Amino acid sequence: MTDVGTEHFLILSAVLFIIGMMGVLIRRNIIIIFMCVELMLTAANISLVAFGWENNSMSGQAFAVFTIAVAAAEAAVGLAIILALSRRVLTVDIDEFRTLRD
Amino acid sequence: MPWDFVAFCLLAAICVVTAGGMVVSTNPVHAGIFLGLCFIHVAGIFVMLGAEFLAVIQVIVYTGAILVLLLFVLMLVDPDDLPEFHTGRPIQRAVAALLGVVLLLELGVAILGRTIEGAKGTATPENIAAVGGNTQALGRALYTEYLLPFEVVSLVLTVGVIGAIVLAMPERLGEKITRRRGTISLGHARGVDLALDSGAPVTGVPGEAPIPENEHELATGLSSRRVLIMVTDPDEFTTVGSRR
Repeated sequence: MTDVGTEHFLILSAVLFIIGMMGVLIRRNIIIIFMCVELMLTAANISLVAFGWENNSMSGQAFAVFTIAVAAAEAAVGLAIILALSRRVLTVDIDEFRTLRD
Repeated sequence: MPWDFVAFCLLAAICVVTAGGMVVSTNPVHAGIFLGLCFIHVAGIFVMLGAEFLAVIQVIVYTGAILVLLLFVLMLVDPDDLPEFHTGRPIQRAVAALLGVVLLLELGVAILGRTIEGAKGTATPENIAAVGGNTQALGRALYTEYLLPFEVVSLVLTVGVIGAIVLAMPERLGEKITRRRGTISLGHARGVDLALDSGAPVTGVPGEAPIPENEHELATGLSSRRVLIMVTDPDEFTTVGSRR
């Protein structure tokens, strides 16, 4: 099958999502884990746009726009949390962040 | 062989390879560069899907803003604080690989065995071209059908920015001082400024350091008011002008 269909894009999206998920599970550097979360969000965007493309609908792209906006807000807040945490614990090793309060 | 299939294979292969490189790279900066490459090729995938506006947004927001923010934070965190965490943890890796394979199988079965079909919308390529292009069509959808979610997203962005500023602010002055340990500082030994407050008349502006009477005291540092002290801990001195 040499015709590009929705399944191709969906499988690419699934593969990227799983790579991101394995990165979150394996890595211990909190910044790398954050990058993997961004990769997972992007993979979800590919799925949304692919379904919109299949069904001749703009809703998929509209949802992807919202996802990107929320991802930007999430990146700002998440990186601020990482900064505050690393200032307190003086490391970015996720195993060192054990407590939620002093 | 159709060229769009070749283009898809190329883009998808680079996406997967760079994403894998991000997960396994030992240097966090290399991981960031891999992620940027992956995002740019995902933008190419968006172009193949007829979402040109999203492709541009992907490059500007993800590659331009989020990735630069990530690298910026990477630089802010001390390089000594970035050890490589690749050693050990075989159980963690095995569990991650197992979960990944299981999820890939599930998703593959779900995608390839999909029989349900969505209702066809009206945004056919002819209709989009009649409106004026992908950006115009997406704008119409955003400002008519999705007006309320669009406004809510702007609120979310505002709250996110305020939250980021509040979270990244240093909590106390003491936390700043903790970073510069072992510096020589011209300050009051603890308790000295209390005596000053109660007894001696403060010359100059209140809240600032009292000026020594003559140059001899300043030069020798023997004045009882200002002493040169070596501090290794923020608790050993109070900063000039602070009243505790």
